Amino acid sequence: MAMRQTPLTCSGHTRPVVDLAFSGITPYGYFLISACKDGKPMLRQGDTGDWIGTFLGHKGAVWGATLNKDATKAATAAADFTAKVWDAVSGDELMTLAHKHIVKTVDFTQDSNYLLTGGQDKLLRIYDLNKPEAEPKEISGHTSGIKKALWCSEDKQILSADDKTVRLWDHATMTEVKSLNFNMSVSSMEYIPEGEILVITYGRSIAFHSAVSLDPIKSFEAPATINSASLHPEKEFLVAGGEDFKLYKYDYNSGEELESYKGHFGPIHCVRFSPDGELYASGSEDGTLRLWQTVVGKTYGLWKCVLPEEDSGELAKPKISFPETPEEELEEIASENSDSIYSSTPEVKA
Amino acid sequence: MQTPLTIPVPVLRLPRGPDGLSRGFAPDGRRAPRMPEGPETPESAGVQESRESQEQQARAALRERYLRSLLAMVGHQVSFTLHEGVHVTAHFGATDLDVANFYVSQLQTPIGVQAEALLRCSDIIAYTFKP
Repeated sequence: MAMRQTPLTCSGHTRPVVDLAFSGITPYGYFLISACKDGKPMLRQGDTGDWIGTFLGHKGAVWGATLNKDATKAATAAADFTAKVWDAVSGDELMTLAHKHIVKTVDFTQDSNYLLTGGQDKLLRIYDLNKPEAEPKEISGHTSGIKKALWCSEDKQILSADDKTVRLWDHATMTEVKSLNFNMSVSSMEYIPEGEILVITYGRSIAFHSAVSLDPIKSFEAPATINSASLHPEKEFLVAGGEDFKLYKYDYNSGEELESYKGHFGPIHCVRFSPDGELYASGSEDGTLRLWQTVVGKTYGLWKCVLPEEDSGELAKPKISFPETPEEELEEIASENSDSIYSSTPEVKA
Repeated sequence: MQTPLTIPVPVLRLPRGPDGLSRGFAPDGRRAPRMPEGPETPESAGVQESRESQEQQARAALRERYLRSLLAMVGHQVSFTLHEGVHVTAHFGATDLDVANFYVSQLQTPIGVQAEALLRCSDIIAYTFKP
């Protein structure tokens, strides 16, 4: 019996989710942070999507969010012209870093000692987190607002994307090493340290470049405008999502489209694989995050593979569904003996 | 259904959402070790499991009853008791997934009638209706 993907919906945000990031794998599992236009970024357990806490303090839409490798710190970039650094265990605000315009992107170095920020003021800033009072180092050169900035090559270099260019900078000399120009707006960028691969999306294209030389490796075209893409840690698959509300899964080696999933009620703004590659998360204009299995039907996190001979009594089997859900068949509510709503739609409501 | 031969992957439960009351970061919740711990008493794992499954069944039954109560409320006039002795009535529409907000219409407040409104669950002390 073939299994169908059951996405797990993480609710709680009240406005579009515009960015998300996973931490590394820690002794306590891995974690997920989401940036939202409601100004309240949230921390979740990475493998279940369970809400852990909300970082309260920003006074405007949060455009970027990230966690450090061991998930002890979080950083956020917001429309209130600040970036903030948080204690990700207690939820307390540790630092507020004032900028001159909307901040869009934040990234920690591997050792969590430095924070890179970028935004509408077209400057890259490097903050020494051990000296919060000191002025940041600034790198200028972008001619339009910076959308994404990332450390790469073991924090020796910086990658930054604005509307039409992607630039590579040397950290020590703070000078530009190379740049790429695009005809269309760059929508997202992801850096894969193992293999030094850069994933860039623009228009309907998902492009892979060397993070060291910026030379192109390969690119794929999707059926619709893509806002974000992510490469699986083992580089077998990539997932992408965009304006048609669907998530696409491709074989990285052949470029073959393997699957497409409907589920979100709005454009997808961000998509990322978990650090163990077992699931990927998508954030959408509809205000939700969804978790998707890489291998559909595998027992992992909240997904439970049920073999035909197993008694599935231990599973919570809700017999009713919310009337507000448009997809639910009315027969399910009327029929007392209806065993499960799993047979009707992929949307599971408790 | 377009693909009648596939069944959706079953899930244990949905991801937990915000509690609507605090900002979270509960000290006991997050930094629990990921390794499962053995039963504390020499009592067999089977006895513990059946007690747990009984509890889970009870929880599921109570949850189902609550959800059915929400279903029965749709379209009815509901009286809400809010903080500071405020009472309002409205027609119940729906709640959101985490039951953090109540969507109501024709909300009669001390300062007039709101055609449509959201009541925060954390503001509601009690509510009552006649089916």
